[in-house]
Amino acid sequence: MRMLRVGRWLTAIGLVLLAGVYVRALAYTPIEATQGMAQKIFYLHVPAAIWAETAMILVGLASVVYLFTKDPRLDRFAASSAEVGTVFCAIVLTTGPIWGKPIWGTWWSWDARLTFTLFLFLIYVGYLLLRGAVADPGARARFAAVIGICGMCEVPFIHLSVYMFPTLHPMPIVLQPGRPRLPGSMLETWLFSLGVFTLLYVGFVVQRYAVSYLREQLEALAET
Amino acid sequence: MMLPQTPPQNSGYMIAAYVIAGAILLGYTLSLYLRARRSLRP
Repeated sequence: MRMLRVGRWLTAIGLVLLAGVYVRALAYTPIEATQGMAQKIFYLHVPAAIWAETAMILVGLASVVYLFTKDPRLDRFAASSAEVGTVFCAIVLTTGPIWGKPIWGTWWSWDARLTFTLFLFLIYVGYLLLRGAVADPGARARFAAVIGICGMCEVPFIHLSVYMFPTLHPMPIVLQPGRPRLPGSMLETWLFSLGVFTLLYVGFVVQRYAVSYLREQLEALAET
Repeated sequence: MMLPQTPPQNSGYMIAAYVIAGAILLGYTLSLYLRARRSLRP
């Protein structure tokens, strides 16, 4: 199947380039003076967080359109994006505490940004559990769409939580309009990493979509 | 007088984060591969 092959190639290229991100982060970026080597977690943590949130927004948008059109391709895309978003959210929730321990002195704090991100992960898990629990495809897609829309509504709270609540989590660094700005080599490495995570997201979603399509074809064959 | 500041020695945390992130991504890639293979099996 062509789509599956395309997805595999995109993922393979993404994983090779991810090794490039590792090399670039270790060898070509300066060691931050106050945080030391732990700051380099930034090159994985932030792109993964951006795609964990973007994936949920795409799930929500696909779900809204699905509820009006009942197009199964949108439901398939939403399910694929949710699964990949769960993977990226898992990376955020593991690399974040590992970064937090040497910098904040604690693995976890129940502050707004961290708690909202954990909540996003739980919405993702709930979405996937629900899809596995409902047998009827129509009902499954409708119920999942409602959870997807709820998840999309939660994403702005994650982004705005650092402005709305007192939090340990730092303010946005890359997109802040004023100074201090990232040095050029750090910014280039971060942008490279963001590109690689984008490629991985697309590769994973294309593969997952193809697997869903194949599975539906098999189920249809089994019923006839 | 200001003393020159040396960065803290915490590279173990960075290595752990990089290994875990890589393992999660590779694990998911393998999971997709196995599921696709199962779906393609006649």
